[in-house]
Amino acid sequence: MNGEGEDASKVIHVKFLTKLDSPFKVPVTSVVIPSSVTRLGLSSIVNSLLTLEKPEAFDFLIDGELIRMSLEQFLLAKGISAERTLEIEYIRAVAPRKEEKPSLHDDWVSAVDGSSPRFVLTGCYDGLGRIWSSPGSCTHILEGHTGAISSIAFANSEGAEGVTVATASKDRTLRLFKVDTAESGDSTTRVGAYKILRGHKASVASVAAQKYGSKVCSGSWDCTINVWDSNESTSELSVPGKKRKGNNQAEEPQLEGEAETTLVGHTQCVSSVVWPEHDVIYSCSWDHSVRRWDVETGKDSLNLYSGKALNTVDVGGEGSALVAAGGSDPILRVWDPRKPGTSAPVFQFASHSSWISACKWHKSSWFHLLSASYDGKIMLWDLRTAWPLSIIETHKDKVLCADWWKGDSVVSGGADSNLRISSGISIS
Amino acid sequence: MTKKKSEAANEDQTRDTKKKSVSAVKSSQKEKPVLAKQVKSSKEEEDLLLDSATDSDYDGDSLSGSLNSDDFDSDVFDSEDDASQKETEGGDKDSSEDELELHGNEDSDDDDEGEQVDSENDEEDGSDEEREVAEESDSSEDEVAPRNTVGDVPLEWYKDEKHIGYDITGKKITKKEKQDKLDSFLANMDDSKNWRKIYDEYNDEEVELTKEESKLIRRMLKGEAPHADFDPYAPYVDWFKWDDAIHPLSSAPEPKRRFIPSKWEAKKVVKYVRAIRKGLIKFDKPEEEPNVYLLWGDDSASDQKSKHLTYIPPPKLKLPGHEESYNPSLEYIPTEEEKAAYELMYEEDRPKFIPKRFTSLRSIPAYENALKESFDRCLDLYLCPRVRKKRINIDPESLKPKLPSRKDLRPYPNSCYLEYKGHTGAVTSVSPDCSGQWIASGSADGSVRIWEVETGRCLKVWQFKEAVKCVAWNPLPDFPILAVAIGQDLVILNTELGTDEEQQKIEELLRLGTLPEQDEAVAAIVSWLPDETYGGIKIKHFKNISYVDWHPRGDYLSAVMSAGETRGVVIHQLSMHKTQRLPIKMRGLPVCTLFHPTHRGMFIIATKKNVRVFNLQKRELAIKKLETGLREISSMAIHPGGDNLIVGSKEGKMCWFDMDLSSKPYKTLKNHPKDITNVAFHRSYPLFASCSEDSTAYVFHGKVYSDLNENPLIVPLEILRGHSTSSNRGVLDCKFHPRQPWLFTAGADSVIKLYCH
Repeated sequence: MNGEGEDASKVIHVKFLTKLDSPFKVPVTSVVIPSSVTRLGLSSIVNSLLTLEKPEAFDFLIDGELIRMSLEQFLLAKGISAERTLEIEYIRAVAPRKEEKPSLHDDWVSAVDGSSPRFVLTGCYDGLGRIWSSPGSCTHILEGHTGAISSIAFANSEGAEGVTVATASKDRTLRLFKVDTAESGDSTTRVGAYKILRGHKASVASVAAQKYGSKVCSGSWDCTINVWDSNESTSELSVPGKKRKGNNQAEEPQLEGEAETTLVGHTQCVSSVVWPEHDVIYSCSWDHSVRRWDVETGKDSLNLYSGKALNTVDVGGEGSALVAAGGSDPILRVWDPRKPGTSAPVFQFASHSSWISACKWHKSSWFHLLSASYDGKIMLWDLRTAWPLSIIETHKDKVLCADWWKGDSVVSGGADSNLRISSGISIS
Repeated sequence: MTKKKSEAANEDQTRDTKKKSVSAVKSSQKEKPVLAKQVKSSKEEEDLLLDSATDSDYDGDSLSGSLNSDDFDSDVFDSEDDASQKETEGGDKDSSEDELELHGNEDSDDDDEGEQVDSENDEEDGSDEEREVAEESDSSEDEVAPRNTVGDVPLEWYKDEKHIGYDITGKKITKKEKQDKLDSFLANMDDSKNWRKIYDEYNDEEVELTKEESKLIRRMLKGEAPHADFDPYAPYVDWFKWDDAIHPLSSAPEPKRRFIPSKWEAKKVVKYVRAIRKGLIKFDKPEEEPNVYLLWGDDSASDQKSKHLTYIPPPKLKLPGHEESYNPSLEYIPTEEEKAAYELMYEEDRPKFIPKRFTSLRSIPAYENALKESFDRCLDLYLCPRVRKKRINIDPESLKPKLPSRKDLRPYPNSCYLEYKGHTGAVTSVSPDCSGQWIASGSADGSVRIWEVETGRCLKVWQFKEAVKCVAWNPLPDFPILAVAIGQDLVILNTELGTDEEQQKIEELLRLGTLPEQDEAVAAIVSWLPDETYGGIKIKHFKNISYVDWHPRGDYLSAVMSAGETRGVVIHQLSMHKTQRLPIKMRGLPVCTLFHPTHRGMFIIATKKNVRVFNLQKRELAIKKLETGLREISSMAIHPGGDNLIVGSKEGKMCWFDMDLSSKPYKTLKNHPKDITNVAFHRSYPLFASCSEDSTAYVFHGKVYSDLNENPLIVPLEILRGHSTSSNRGVLDCKFHPRQPWLFTAGADSVIKLYCH
């Protein structure tokens, strides 16, 4: 009883601030709340202040740190005085509010790309790439590969009438597809590749396209990164369509391209490549390293050693400079290459229980990134807290790929042959 | 007359000395009253002067006293000479009277002589007095009624009084009437016994000496013994036996040398003194006793231990505490519950001493264990081993080899993140391809599968009718084919994972054209056939194949069957479609074989007991025979360097052989409680592993140094659990990932697990 009395006496003056717009704006007045209140309590207080029809989940920030424990513990841990009036900023909680209908594939979904707000690209183990305009409606099927597709990417999504898609496959080739998005019938259109990129001696593991250019790069099991030209016109040799196994678009003329540049340096399989800037490629490999390549010179300008075989890498965050990578252990690591003198990760997120198969930075937020793991979970992370913001457990098996879509959704594919879209994530 | 006497006296010296001593006694007796006089007569100067003069005379000349006594003696001797006697006596009387008159009237005209005589008389009186007193004390005190009790005071004090003192009752003793001198003289003359009469001034009476007394005095004066019966010249009795005895006591007087310091000793001393002065003799400095010592220190560490080899330090007793007091504080006394708890305890655990309380020391009973303890003590002494037991005090930790920490030996596989599920029977064998992208597995359900390592996806399945015994991936990276042992068949499978050119080559290779002629002996046991179902090659053997191994070059392939001599092991050459038998006869049934990773012709065969190394090119007997000492070898793996070999056995032991070092195992590791099913070395990391039927796999660090002097370092790292036992079988195979520090384990629970670092 005494303890309760003491608790009651422990109150904190707080002021709720927000950058949100009018329906979520509370009057800037000091409120007295008990110190033992947790995030849920704070959320309910703000909700009661707002008097919304539908309760809304909020996350709270004090001095740029997300609150993940009781307010009292948080203040103690951070050494913040409870005497003065605390200013608590609140944001809408980052969690999917809606689970879209799963889009069933014929086989495991191994690759997904959501960089274009109009489509979701998926690559599948049946060797087909698919373009989804909305959950459940597949508009195009990209065919031609004889092996499982391991990676898929928009090579050029700018054109209004058409987009270019690059796919990487375990049949050691990359294919480029031109998709006319204007024709949007109910039936799915089958599209053949206009260009086949041969040159890798082993399975291609990853493909990435230059953002405002015509080049794509690919990482492969033959330990190399090849840079290709995706332009139709520059192809030097044009061969009539060969009769290939499983390729019924044989009549269509196909171009074959050769690697412009080969970046050699990795000693094992290059499992993931990203091309965030004009001539900078980041790659990660099973040789435990993340490298930054200068496309012009073909030299690696950065080499981060992680100690684990890496499956996925992405660059983003603050100034698009932070490198996040995950691999053969449950820890998602984030490096800041700008930090001089150290190659230790600046953040380590270790809530997964198996290999990390994908990690992606949010395109607009500095703090948010997602990670997908073989334990079937997708976790949304905020750099301002060590706990995951939310865990998406929609997949029944390994999650093999995941990406942000439209800024407020997460698209993911996994070993349960489903593309799942979790939408309604509010990231300011 | 006096001269005569003195001469006579001089004749005998001894007598004289005796006399002298007597007179000396007398004179000392005399002195007291004289001194008293001195003190008293300070007023009467003349008297004092006279007295002092006379006194000094007497003191100085003791002979005069003796002469005087001689006079007396002479009187005694000449007792008949009455006249002279009377004269002296009369003189005496006169002098005393004179003295009285002198004191009383104070007009004395007496001559010096008279004075002298007077003083002499005085002296004599004193001595007489004393004698009487002595006698009185001896015999009759009662006879004389009034006795003076004034004590030893100068009698002059009572000179003018009418009494001489006080008797015992305190009454005054009055002086007697003084007779007229003439009357007294007359009376004296009449009285024949007058010479024997003595006036006692102290008691103011006349005492008559008896004849015996006078004789006593006379003898004493003569210097003889006072008693008449004493014979001073009694014959001497010689108590010493002077005859010679066997053990004679020497009667010789002590020699002189006994009493004088030895000359030689003196010389010696001088010598020493000189040596000390010169510094030739040096003395040890006196040992300084430490003035502090460890009061409660351990005795066993003291010097005693070092001095005596057999010293056994007694066990240190516990110091007594307050609880052992007869009247300890209440908190030491156990409560009833505690006592009851003691009763329930085992006797060994029970406390030896339970504090008790007594009101006084008296009420303490006898020590109840006294008899038992003394008996025990006797037993201890009687049964005590007299041999000192050498106790080895070695910290067991120090005996452990200094192994590096596991953390420093990372990376090594430790946790399982990926499982490859799909088989329906026990997975008997796994084999990763050389790039590490795929892994092939064979199962007891008759299927061979290829998995994608990265995702755990099953890529290809081949189904056979019999259980797959062993799968082996060709070690060449551009030659992705599989050798699969199924029953009696060895099937070469095309995985179709290579590039187009590679596929062409493989297809060419796997096309059996005209087969070359085989030896008859070989043809009897092996036949090459095309595999209809999967388009590979089927090599049919005469017995079930248990093990398949590829040569590192990828062309040769050995198959092991459980047959003896030269038929147990056959080597197939894929490019030539030929089979060779082992050129050497071999004892025992082969278990597994290995191609040496670096030496081309070297071939290692493990039979159930031993491991033999052959050189196939030279076709000679075993180059080396490794004696494992194991009961039954189950598996074998060779270090990529080629000099070190590990052998697993069905008793759970694993032997590490350094083939350059010895034919005996360098280390034998006993880890698994059940059969070891397989052992494996990592291609690039210093790791090796063993897997066992107990559903575990052990990972070890096994570093081989290029320095030949340095022994391989073996550190156990991790026990990998996770597989479940099914039908009494655990982990059936383990293989390392060729590039990552990962371990694949094939379980009887139809799961393949990948343990990552």
